[in-house]
Amino acid sequence: MNSPGATRPPPHLQFASAVGNHLFVSAYSRLFDLPPGVKIDSTSGAAAELIESLSLPGPEDESLALTSRPNPQSVSLNISASCNLACSYCYAGQGGFGGRQTAAMRWETARAAVDRLLGCADPARPITIGFLGGEPFLNRPLLHRLVDYAAGLGAERHLDVRYSVTTNGTLLTEADRRLLRRHPFAVTVSLDGEEAAHDRNRPNKAGRGSWRRAMQGIGPLLREPGRAQVAARATVGRGNMKLSANLAALAGEGFAEIGFSPLRASPGGADAISGADWRDYVEALEEAAEVELSRLRAGLPIRLTNLAIALKHIHRGFASPYPCGAGGGYFSVAADGAWYACHRAVGEEAYRLGDNDGLDEAKRALFLGARHVDAQTECTSCWARYLCSGGCHQEVAARTPESCDFVREWLRFCLVAYCELRGNRMPSEGVVHA
Amino acid sequence: MPDLKLLPRNVAAVRLGAQPFDVPVLVAGNPAASLLESGVGNCFPGLECDIRNLERRFFPFLAVDTDFGSLQVTSVDSAAVAAAQAQGGLNAVDAALYGAIATDIAAGEVWQIDGLAGDFGPLGMLDFALSDLGGGSSGPGRLPADAWTAVRLLKEGAVVTLRLAGPGGRSESLAAPRMRYLDANGALAKMFEVGELSQSLCSPWTHDFRDCGCYYWATNHPDIALPPQTGTTAADNSDLATVWLRADRNASPPPLATVDGGADELRYHGINRDWQLLNLVFESRERLAPYAESEFVATPFADLATLLTQMRYAAGVELALTQEYLAAAWSLRPAAAAPAPLRPDLRAAFSEVLRIAIGEMRHLRAINEVLRALSPAGAYVPALQVAAEIPLGPGVWRARATRALTPDVIAEFVDVEAPSTSVDSLYSRILATLVARDAPDEVTQAVRTIMAEGEDHWETFRNVQQWLGRHAPAAYLRATAPAAAALPAQVELQNRYAALLDLLHQGYAAGLPAGAATINAARSAMLDPDGIEGALDAVAAAGFLPVFGPFADLRFVELGRPPDAP
Repeated sequence: MNSPGATRPPPHLQFASAVGNHLFVSAYSRLFDLPPGVKIDSTSGAAAELIESLSLPGPEDESLALTSRPNPQSVSLNISASCNLACSYCYAGQGGFGGRQTAAMRWETARAAVDRLLGCADPARPITIGFLGGEPFLNRPLLHRLVDYAAGLGAERHLDVRYSVTTNGTLLTEADRRLLRRHPFAVTVSLDGEEAAHDRNRPNKAGRGSWRRAMQGIGPLLREPGRAQVAARATVGRGNMKLSANLAALAGEGFAEIGFSPLRASPGGADAISGADWRDYVEALEEAAEVELSRLRAGLPIRLTNLAIALKHIHRGFASPYPCGAGGGYFSVAADGAWYACHRAVGEEAYRLGDNDGLDEAKRALFLGARHVDAQTECTSCWARYLCSGGCHQEVAARTPESCDFVREWLRFCLVAYCELRGNRMPSEGVVHA
Repeated sequence: MPDLKLLPRNVAAVRLGAQPFDVPVLVAGNPAASLLESGVGNCFPGLECDIRNLERRFFPFLAVDTDFGSLQVTSVDSAAVAAAQAQGGLNAVDAALYGAIATDIAAGEVWQIDGLAGDFGPLGMLDFALSDLGGGSSGPGRLPADAWTAVRLLKEGAVVTLRLAGPGGRSESLAAPRMRYLDANGALAKMFEVGELSQSLCSPWTHDFRDCGCYYWATNHPDIALPPQTGTTAADNSDLATVWLRADRNASPPPLATVDGGADELRYHGINRDWQLLNLVFESRERLAPYAESEFVATPFADLATLLTQMRYAAGVELALTQEYLAAAWSLRPAAAAPAPLRPDLRAAFSEVLRIAIGEMRHLRAINEVLRALSPAGAYVPALQVAAEIPLGPGVWRARATRALTPDVIAEFVDVEAPSTSVDSLYSRILATLVARDAPDEVTQAVRTIMAEGEDHWETFRNVQQWLGRHAPAAYLRATAPAAAALPAQVELQNRYAALLDLLHQGYAAGLPAGAATINAARSAMLDPDGIEGALDAVAAAGFLPVFGPFADLRFVELGRPPDAP
């Protein structure tokens, strides 16, 4: 941070919406309205002093400079080392992680991971057990057995145990759906949108599209979800930028939550979004978001989770030095029982921070220190730093000025949308006289 | 940056620099500003009324019960059957069938509806047996999901045919237009009997409050109430509240309700077992004997013209009280800046006085709706002229005034809102006139509501008296003198208030639903920092009491008391 009186103020953004001029202060993600017609001259010493004072932690705020090491609160288990599909862009190489994970997880390994998690997590907060692969339902017996086991332990110890699974949906049986309905499951289905686009990106090993089978598997769960919360997650490559059409197609299948993720890097690299593609991507995302905003104004829920989450974060003032829980509250357990900071880094030594017997706390501290957003030199002056937090650790290598411009443009769009949605309604207390 | 005012827009910005007490936190439950229409019924359908019961009388002369799957006839309106037959509206065969059903039901036999045919709105003309309904409804040629949904879909006024199954395998059918459950004004039709719509609600003895996720019954009891009257001496008739849910049902006298909780309360199991020991509460007191409503006696006004004149003045009194209460609320120092012992009292006093002012605004709206309903066609003009004088009691009046919330003024507000001891008070006479003229139910209910809310206002001002009575007026007041008309902040307030009245006038004149958007715009303009609330803040910040009016505009000019005002 600059010293008072310096002419370069801390990261912030001035922007205009239909309801006036606004000031977004990066630290603690604080959003203010400027008086009508007023713009702050950011180069003046007085402005620097003002923004400096607005960037200080409040009485209830934890310093953003801290590197905390919370108890693990959630793990994902990479229970399957294979997949029935052959998606072109899969980061996990269909579950084999390029030969670093060769066998499916065994019961003893999975149980030990759950025992460890339930033993060390904060019992007053929700605990999440996730299932990943490969395709997790290829290791169906383990998945069912482990949920029964964790649910039993949770009930015995009065813990709030929840589950998540990321699946391609094609293998779901009625017994699987019963399991998902019976327990608090966040079910994320990897679907790329319209049938044709989906089938192009997500063929089975014989090269045929997987849309129809995915719908057969997931449809009954959408119609009758029980305790499961079902969301679609679409990967967007440069060849499939029709976000609005894809959103409408997935909503038409009955999904109430639909998220898009740009393909930044892929083993083949061919379809990854880069350079000037980012401009097209943000335009497509904003076009889809406009539809959602008009739905919202008509009293209908937002389906696009990218927008819903951004608005929620802006409202609450989400500010974090880390983009995710990797190595903090979240770990991913490989089939051999090793605990990695992230499910995308299974087999990468730098991310291996422990195993079912415990964590290497010294290595974990170094890992978290190096990934704090303050340690990312490109992020130092960026106003979006505590909302974006530097982006996915695994994708840092793919970070380019254009991809960062995308993040800023999207967040700016969401800030404007937030201000306009709230119109003239503002909190009545806490007026800051500067 | 000299004197740059930044308004926080998100929660994080509010949190900066705010007292921990002021920080918005997410809590479970309804905000204080919840209106009836935002009630729990919107989240847990069936809590204010069990909406299934709206369909109980979908078919003429019959009442049915439904558990979603079946439709069982529970009663026949035999008097209405006889009347309809006498007037030639019902043939002898159908009348005989209604009679037979009534006789069977009286004998404990069961009549079920097992098939329906008619116009099911979006699903079109259908004819099916209830046993065909499978709980789902999709695809071409789909049937309603269940019996209750089927009845809800039936088009009002279109002929529906019932297939009825009676005792001994008897099978009959009846055809008649589907009844509507709202009258032309949108109020519930008169065919419903008292208690009919709430008869299947959550109740303690079925224990469903425990499991339905809302704890409705257990959380909607009074926390405290005056203890039951046990005799005639003062000691037998305590005016100190007790804990209504007290676990010790034999304590004598019952434990006092105190700030720190006082007595142990019944928990869920206890409520479930001992609900019958809990006392009914009327008028804030637990009752052990049947409650007898005091007889309502008041003299009606002579004619409609007098009634309308008096009601226009009543509207003016509501507006005058709104102005006085707003000025009084803004005479208080901002709670956030006050020292600790004063802060919570100030916060509560400001919020409650503001709440009462908002209550008076709602009364103003209600009276205007009543005026519109009673006025001859085309003759209604919005009543937005402020009253010159405010009634303190029968025949006692005082001039409208802009005053700070001093102890004397609080005492006067208590008096203004005190439940009328006079049977000839303004609203009593208005109500008596409406009853005598057999006015529509919703009109008399609107006036009854205004009268009932007066009692809440009275109690609230007594609380304000207690809270602020703990402090010196100089410690809690920031303004005591009305603003001069030329004060810039006052000029701004006057302009905005004139614009607001103009919006209200347009909205009221257009009526509902045409005027809804304008009335909503007026409501938003009150809360806007660029609206009334912001202007009140500015006048108060300048150290003066906000003043409303006067206006030269004839629509808003001060209204003198009618000569025969009670």
